[in-house]
Amino acid sequence: MSAVIPVGMGEMKIARSPEQLVVYGIGSCVILSLYDPKSKAGGLAHIMLPDSSGLDLKSINLVKFADTAIPVLYDALTGSGAFKSSVVAKIVGGSEMFPPTEDFENNIGRDNTEAVKKALKKLGLPLIAEDTGGRRGRSIEFDLERGTIKLSILGEEVREI
Amino acid sequence: MQDVTDLTKTQLDALREIGNIGSGNAASALAQFLNRKIDMAVPSASIMNFNEIPALVGGPEKTVMGIFLKVMGEISGRFLLLIPEKTSLKLLHTLIPGCEIDSALKMGELESSCMREVGNILAGAFLNALSVITQTPMLNSLPSMTYDMAGAMIDSIVADMTAISDKVLMIETSFIESEEDLRIHIFLLPDPASLQLLLQKIGVC
Repeated sequence: MSAVIPVGMGEMKIARSPEQLVVYGIGSCVILSLYDPKSKAGGLAHIMLPDSSGLDLKSINLVKFADTAIPVLYDALTGSGAFKSSVVAKIVGGSEMFPPTEDFENNIGRDNTEAVKKALKKLGLPLIAEDTGGRRGRSIEFDLERGTIKLSILGEEVREI
Repeated sequence: MQDVTDLTKTQLDALREIGNIGSGNAASALAQFLNRKIDMAVPSASIMNFNEIPALVGGPEKTVMGIFLKVMGEISGRFLLLIPEKTSLKLLHTLIPGCEIDSALKMGELESSCMREVGNILAGAFLNALSVITQTPMLNSLPSMTYDMAGAMIDSIVADMTAISDKVLMIETSFIESEEDLRIHIFLLPDPASLQLLLQKIGVC
């Protein structure tokens, strides 16, 4: 049995096959996965918010924010021996768990997803798959051997991207 | 704005006390509504790391009924009820004549509306008591409900409260109907921006 490493809110983890990275109960957060198929190394960042602008970057957790998490994860992954030119991205999450009512609307999930896509584009990282939006929570297992993400969603068939 | 990690023990004690009064009022509303005895666990007011919250209800993957309401007024915040499936079904069977559904996933519009009403009544009773103590009107929004993983709901609710700090102030309690072990967890998360006013109103700033 190989190691299964959980990644909590606001955390980032790098792993290598045969290890697996898992995240339980993803709501409006977006999980960014970066993977290098050549070295079979990959990483996940558990992003909570779209934008860190206006905050003091020295005193915040950079992984919480879409704009700052992506460069941090990319540097950590390539620093651990992954090949820069073969790194690809997948994203998962960004749902709106609670349906809007007259008094409130919650767009964090959508904003997170858009912000992550924008930041990927800025770095020129190819986004090859996503499973985002909707109203359901997700749990994932990231298989570092194949670079695939298995999604478990309440009331739905297990699927893979 | 006061950072939640700076709260003193006296301030936390006072917050726990308002949690006690609010949930006492909510528990009697529920007891009346269901016509059965409801016990209340001792409330806590604590500063928690957001990562630790899902563990309070059985872990991030635990599926529960979540009812979310915004607290509106000069003192604002978020109010979340997490109700295990077993309790939800019992509530539905008690409140809707002839209701026999055996899974929360089979809930229709009538059942959903009934659960939202439970949330409305509990939040209303809780906030009513708080309005009286603080002499500040606090209203709840219409409830929004979902049945899903606890972790997914909590991340959606606390995300924007945790931009700077990993900690949130949470007043938490649970109701227990001991005969059948039915539980309801109540969480009140005051907005950091109105914390100062709340403390002032309860005389501990």
